Amino acid sequence: MDATNVTEPTRIEDDATVERRSERELVVSRTVKGPARIVFDAWTKPELFERWWAPKSFPISLLSCEMDVRVGGRYRLVFGYEGSTMEFFGRYLEVTPRSRLVWTNDEGEHDETITTVTFDEDRGTTRVVVHDLHPSKEALDAAIASGSTSGMPEALAQLDELLVILSASEAPSGAMPS
Amino acid sequence: MTLTGMRKHVGVLEQAQLVTTEKVGRVRTCRLGPRRLDDETAWIERYRQLWNARFDELDKVIEDLQRKETVDGRHERD
Repeated sequence: MDATNVTEPTRIEDDATVERRSERELVVSRTVKGPARIVFDAWTKPELFERWWAPKSFPISLLSCEMDVRVGGRYRLVFGYEGSTMEFFGRYLEVTPRSRLVWTNDEGEHDETITTVTFDEDRGTTRVVVHDLHPSKEALDAAIASGSTSGMPEALAQLDELLVILSASEAPSGAMPS
Repeated sequence: MTLTGMRKHVGVLEQAQLVTTEKVGRVRTCRLGPRRLDDETAWIERYRQLWNARFDELDKVIEDLQRKETVDGRHERD
């Protein structure tokens, strides 16, 4: 029988998946341990959003975050990276509490990319799917080639080089604990 | 970025066989690993690392909010 399976713990996927679903679409998904009501808050309240959008382990910081979360409302994020700043901004097209957010990314030079985030609650956890629809195949190809994408500073593309340089000089003095 | 953060990143790249590292004395040298990726795959991997880090931080925020709710709920019942 299946009795042996009973002891197996329910594992929540911890790794985000990223998929180029079509020529114009990029999809990120991950399950978060918490109800959609709270997860939605973390995406729509600036004081919560700024605690996680620029992860501490990445060399970027979120300097300011303004969000007017309602249909037609605007947002503006200012990031700092090695002394320079980058801005990302746009407007909300759809706001459905606990379930769906749609916003534009207007910082690009050409047509805008549309980001749709959906929140699906299941037994206390919430599946978050972030869907980016780029204006054309060329636009998404170009974003990939330049190492940038919506909400992600171009400078991150240089992270690999930085990694190699910093790792090569790992603990050069006695000052850092190894 | 802190040295610890950097080590973590190199660890992830190493696990994915994108780099190999060798430590001689105090110097750790990174080289491209056996798994050569085309640009798009490499970019997607970097993007995934960003989102993984983001979601890990989000988990902490959610956990914090849920804990506060539980505490507040208890106060209300008291």
